[in-house]
Amino acid sequence: MTLKECYAAMGSNYDEVIGRLRSERLVQKFVLKFADDGSFDLLQRSLAEQNYSEAFRAAHTIKGVCQNLSLTKLGASSSALAETLRGGVWSEEAAALVEETTKDYQDTISAIRAFQEAQGG
Amino acid sequence: MNNQKKSTTRFLTVSLLLVAISCVCIFSFLAFFMNRKSADTISSVGTIYMTGMGEKVSQHFETTIDLRLIQVESLVDTISSGSPGLRSNLVYNAQARGFEGLSFYSDDGTFDTLYGDTITLADSESFLKSLRVGAKKVAVGVDPEGEKFVLLGVPAQYPMRGGGESVALVASLTADYIAETLSLYSDDSLVYSHIIRKDGSFVIRSGDAFRESYFDRIHSMFDSVPENGDQYVRELEAAMQKGEDYSTLLTVGEERRHLYCTKLAYSEWYLVTVLPYGELDEAVNDLGKTWIYAVFLGCAVVLLALLLVFAQYFKLLREQMKELEHAKKAAEHANKAKSEFLSNMSHDIRTPMNAIVGMTAIATANINDTQQVQNCLKKITLSSRHLLGLINDVLDMSKIESGKLTLNMDQISLREVMDSIVSIVQPQVRAKHQQFDVFIHDISTENVCCDSVRLNQVLINFLGNAIKFTPDGGSIQVSLYEEDSPKGGEFIRVHLTVKDNGIGMTPEFQAKIFDSFSREDSTRVRKTEGTGLGMAITKYIVDAMGGTIDVESELGKGSEFHVTLDLERAQIQEEDMILPEWNLLVTDDDQQLCESTVASLQAIGVRADWALDAETAIQMIEKRHQHGDDYHIILLDWKLPGMDGITAAKEIRRRFGTNTPILLISAYDWSEIETDAKSAGITGFISKPLFKSTLFYGLKPFIGAPQAPEEAPHEEIPSHFEGKKVLLAEDNDLNWEIAEELLSELGLELEWAENGQICVEKFQASPLGYYDAILMDLRMPVMSGYEATRAIRALDRADASLPIIAMTADAFSEDIKKCLECGMNAHVAKPIDVREISRLLDKYINNL
Repeated sequence: MTLKECYAAMGSNYDEVIGRLRSERLVQKFVLKFADDGSFDLLQRSLAEQNYSEAFRAAHTIKGVCQNLSLTKLGASSSALAETLRGGVWSEEAAALVEETTKDYQDTISAIRAFQEAQGG
Repeated sequence: MNNQKKSTTRFLTVSLLLVAISCVCIFSFLAFFMNRKSADTISSVGTIYMTGMGEKVSQHFETTIDLRLIQVESLVDTISSGSPGLRSNLVYNAQARGFEGLSFYSDDGTFDTLYGDTITLADSESFLKSLRVGAKKVAVGVDPEGEKFVLLGVPAQYPMRGGGESVALVASLTADYIAETLSLYSDDSLVYSHIIRKDGSFVIRSGDAFRESYFDRIHSMFDSVPENGDQYVRELEAAMQKGEDYSTLLTVGEERRHLYCTKLAYSEWYLVTVLPYGELDEAVNDLGKTWIYAVFLGCAVVLLALLLVFAQYFKLLREQMKELEHAKKAAEHANKAKSEFLSNMSHDIRTPMNAIVGMTAIATANINDTQQVQNCLKKITLSSRHLLGLINDVLDMSKIESGKLTLNMDQISLREVMDSIVSIVQPQVRAKHQQFDVFIHDISTENVCCDSVRLNQVLINFLGNAIKFTPDGGSIQVSLYEEDSPKGGEFIRVHLTVKDNGIGMTPEFQAKIFDSFSREDSTRVRKTEGTGLGMAITKYIVDAMGGTIDVESELGKGSEFHVTLDLERAQIQEEDMILPEWNLLVTDDDQQLCESTVASLQAIGVRADWALDAETAIQMIEKRHQHGDDYHIILLDWKLPGMDGITAAKEIRRRFGTNTPILLISAYDWSEIETDAKSAGITGFISKPLFKSTLFYGLKPFIGAPQAPEEAPHEEIPSHFEGKKVLLAEDNDLNWEIAEELLSELGLELEWAENGQICVEKFQASPLGYYDAILMDLRMPVMSGYEATRAIRALDRADASLPIIAMTADAFSEDIKKCLECGMNAHVAKPIDVREISRLLDKYINNL
């Protein structure tokens, strides 16, 4: 599995990220690191604690990272989630978006893990 | 309203009547009372006068008689009975004193006449009785001719001619003398007097009295009412009996007389003085009449004044009522307009909303049919945009109504404003196949101070209306020109007109076009959507800019809106725009545009000719070609009468080769004609309107290499930030690593702060001038980027004003605004774009 294939699996834009970061090595490094990023844990924790302003910040951070790495699909769902949580208030819509974000996150992570394994690491 | 008006009118009328009646009553009473009072005063004056008069007359009588008696006495005293020549001596002296006669009076009542007529006494008894006891006495006698004499008797003993001794010496005076002396009947006085005896018989009568008794006279006066006469006589007699003075007012018919009676000295006589009131009464009546006239005149004047005041008040009241009604109507109208507006609005909002809901439903149902979904989304986008426009209008209006709409004055370029307007309206114009033209001329200043967003709004509003209300194939023109402003050299007067040949407006509608919530209510425009607020907002904006809007419109012929603004000239210097000394040919069917463009070109150093159609242009090109002096560049309008621009370009290429650049000038979108144009050999495109700067920037690429204008080469990322230290506040380590990786390529040295708090602390702990800039994430735990920036800006350090650039995944304009408000210098959106960051750092660190 190549990095490009991995990006395709994540529903993300490989060309764009290469255009900005300019090196496959860097992209690979950051993408692998993304799997260890704690923002998603923070999001889940905050939601469990019903601390929605913190949850907003976590979603916002995920969005920021996704933008940097051009993880388009997860970026879109986390961005939508961040917008609904912007006021720090829970809503029906947010529940659906949390579900969507979680699904996209899991898809992304499993794609990264698959790539990692393909790299033999 | 009407009831109130009626009751007010009734109250006014009643109170006016009451005041008028009481006024008349008071004045009448005054007149009556004063008349009575003056009559009373006249009677009492009469009494006083008559009393005084009577007393005076009686005193005069007494004095006269006294004097005469003293004269007679002195005769008696000086001439004694034994003296020689007694009689002649007496006669001589008596005559010298003016006596009419003189005689000795005997004890038996006979006269021994010394001279004068022999007189018969009327009442010798009392006369003799008084003289016998030695008292002086006055009596009346008659001579043989019947003439009355007054006799003055003084006791004296003289030898009488017939022997014996006299009792008294009696001198006589005519009664007329006495009457005259006493002025008993003087003609020039109203008063006349009589002297009567106790029994009423006259001693001396005056005036028109002819009876023998005064009592008879009184009786005769009261013929009609004899008991009155009797009463007066009785009263008079009683008074005379008692020896008192008597004063009364006799009323004989209409005439009043005052009567006064007093006793006279040395006699049994009474003086009766009468004052007829006739003339006095007349005078008093005259006075009374005058007084009544005066009173009623006064009354009339007061009433008139009252009436005037009431009338004025009434008028005022009516006017106020009318105004009130007016205000009420206006309020009702405004209210009605608002409710109508609301119902219109809810309809207007519901329409796109329904479209959105319906299209969403269709899209959901056909989720797998990409084309269908796309179509739905397109319609949803359009509807949403329309909805947003409506809501923006309403918001603007509420801002205006609460006075919160302010202008954001900035230096703007009229060229940019016009360019953006043209590009905004192009799609709509194209959709309706309308002919769209932009004219500019006499532009001396392109850069002015104005609120560009609001100015755009005004123009788009007018243009939007023009497009909306002009049928397919109609024409719309925008013109812009400048002239000197009356406000002085720092200002420039800008005229903007938007003209169409659409449906036009009725004069009634023109009058209220700028009112809020109005929309021409007729079937012609029913199907046209909008809030009806656009014009009100436009008017408000232009007013706020200190400008005016003129409207000219005729139903069915079209409308013209003319905006006049006095704008301040911008401070920035216009770039030195100089082009090589080319020869240019401008071809356009509008002569004004040609002339104006030629003038603009001359201003930037280019010589230019112009032609009004393609045929002329080709002839001119040929002429020059023959002389070997070709035009350097040719500008062709796309839409020309006869041969159009593209055909003309083909012809020019065919005849004169490909060397000369041919540029198309048009207000239409280049993209729609680009393929045709390029294949016809047209080199490029300049968008109308043709400002000086438009021309300059459009022609500049042809300097040096006229045939092939090149795109600006891709700039390499500069890396001249060696050794520059940047503090990066970012809570996410992955983001931090990416940033570090990318930015260190620029030669920057990055230091990481995990949140706002740490960022502030690190900056505080650093030596002065250590960091060249801070890149700040906004959403961080502990302390956000906004707070951190405020904290840093508040520090008392010389470098507290270092450049701070925000980096955030949000790109909403509010966020950008908030960043700048917190004191940040600029804002970049994530994902990190090295080129953008490098540009900003260049600007803020290297001051490039």
